[in-house]
Amino acid sequence: MTAHVERRPGAARRKSVFRRAWESRYMYLLILPGILFFLIFRYIPIYGIQLAFKTFRASLGITLSPWCGLENFEYLFLNSDFWVAVRNTLLISLYQVVFCFPFPVVLALFLNEIRLARYKKFVQTVYTFPHFLSWVLISGIVMNLLSSSGAVNSLIAALGGQKHQFLTDKALFRSILVFFLAWKESGWNCILYLASITAIDPSLYEAATIDGANRWHRMRYITWPGISMIVVVTLILRIGSMMDVGFDQVINLYNASVYDVGDIIDTYIYRITFQRAGNFGVSTAVGLFKGVTNCILLLSANGICKLLGEEGIV
Amino acid sequence: MTRIRSHARRPRSGPIQRTTFFDILNILFTALFALIILYPFYNCILLSVTPQHIYAREPFMLYPKVLTWESYYVVFENRVLFTGMGVTAMITALGVVYNMILTLLLAYAFNKKFPLRSFFLYMILFTLYFSGGLIPFYLLIKDLGLMDNILSMVLPTGVSITYMTVMRKYFAAIPEELEESARLDGASELVILFRIILPICMPMVVTFCLYYGVERWNEWWYGMLFIKNAFKQPLQLVLRGIIQAAGSTNTSSHLLEAGIIPFNDGIKMASIVITMFPILCVYPFLQKYFVQGLAIGAVKG
Repeated sequence: MTAHVERRPGAARRKSVFRRAWESRYMYLLILPGILFFLIFRYIPIYGIQLAFKTFRASLGITLSPWCGLENFEYLFLNSDFWVAVRNTLLISLYQVVFCFPFPVVLALFLNEIRLARYKKFVQTVYTFPHFLSWVLISGIVMNLLSSSGAVNSLIAALGGQKHQFLTDKALFRSILVFFLAWKESGWNCILYLASITAIDPSLYEAATIDGANRWHRMRYITWPGISMIVVVTLILRIGSMMDVGFDQVINLYNASVYDVGDIIDTYIYRITFQRAGNFGVSTAVGLFKGVTNCILLLSANGICKLLGEEGIV
Repeated sequence: MTRIRSHARRPRSGPIQRTTFFDILNILFTALFALIILYPFYNCILLSVTPQHIYAREPFMLYPKVLTWESYYVVFENRVLFTGMGVTAMITALGVVYNMILTLLLAYAFNKKFPLRSFFLYMILFTLYFSGGLIPFYLLIKDLGLMDNILSMVLPTGVSITYMTVMRKYFAAIPEELEESARLDGASELVILFRIILPICMPMVVTFCLYYGVERWNEWWYGMLFIKNAFKQPLQLVLRGIIQAAGSTNTSSHLLEAGIIPFNDGIKMASIVITMFPILCVYPFLQKYFVQGLAIGAVKG
């Protein structure tokens, strides 16, 4: 068996590359559609990034439009709306890491301790459900709940409080984003942790029980250390993707009165391009700014995960 | 040996464990969160079957006092939502087939050894880190002539790299011998994939069909960017139009006289319920596949 395995690489080396390529011709056939997809829909747009340094003329197309140097970036960096969008992106991201990230971990630890199997299955089904609905739909529900005539306000009024315009309140908008993100995605995100809890060796629990550990001790000294690595890796990757804060959620929930606090880079690009007579060069420049920052952050996050001996992004 | 083990295991699952304060606290906490998730949906369904004048008086309800299907009649008569549903059904059907073919083939092939394999793999992974951004993408779709074509909501979302990676891990866990023996029997690569590998991967295939299916069902963004023709807009985009439209709780009379029915809250909620309905129907029954999540490959690999 061992001899068989060891002989293989040697045998492969003797054949020429072309011979091996011909022998695996079916493999190229299998990856062809996927590769074509990536070339067309992912790589051609990367070619189009040159627009960031050009003045776009629709009649000339991307390739023939005249170069303009760093003009687009100069315009951008002097534009206060752009910096507002950058600040909002980073702040919302920070809030998400602080408030949305730990909740699924706690949820998984608690769910794991439930011994009523049917109840556990039921609540998990409930928790995961909102993940499969679009933000368009959820935003409809949220806007109704929080509207001046909605359930939340009438509850406040019934309890003797003052009605409040939640969705146009600058002080509350980010909190609303964070709350409903946790509401929608926590159940889904805790699946990963629950799965890694099931991978913990049961004999550890047995040994601890014999030594007199109670449920809390077992959660604290076995379950938590058992998943802490995956929590750390997920956290690093989450921080690495801090430029993505959920375009779908923001664009469906925000409105003109909270642009100051809710406009993120993605919505900013959409607004300046499609809601006004857009300058495609400037918009591409914003995209490139985001792309490069994102790339550096992700690569660093991935590198840190690899240093920790974990898999990283994929 | 067996005796010792069974003795040691008893405290975890046997009758010795009593219900503690912690258990009660735990049930309360998890039930509270479940309620927080369920209430908005319950409220939404409730509003869709409540007459508007009653809702205006009493927005916070726990149970329906008067039932009406009025909001649903309006939505059914208006038909825009159903045009959207037709478009979305088409996108979902085409999209899932397209997504699954591309992703499965890539995932399967990348587990094999062939020249330039890592080149192609890194070429794909690179797109995780860097993308051209919205504008070049928009111009590409325009240049491809896909504006106002429903294929603009199908073709650009081909492969999810995350799903592909999970599939790869799943394929990698299949014992090598299975393929070897088929190969010895003279089966070609394609026969091996479709007749031997895929049938034993059905749980994984179903799971990813569902995930891709839900994503396509929720499509609205490319519709908003690329589709101007009202009859080609996907369901979620139509719904977005209804939700974002300024509505009023009290149906104002001059709008009614003009023949314009404002989208009051009841109509909005009814539209949401109709949009949610297919997922609501499928989800509880296929819950096992849905909730497997990406853990399907995480634990195995």
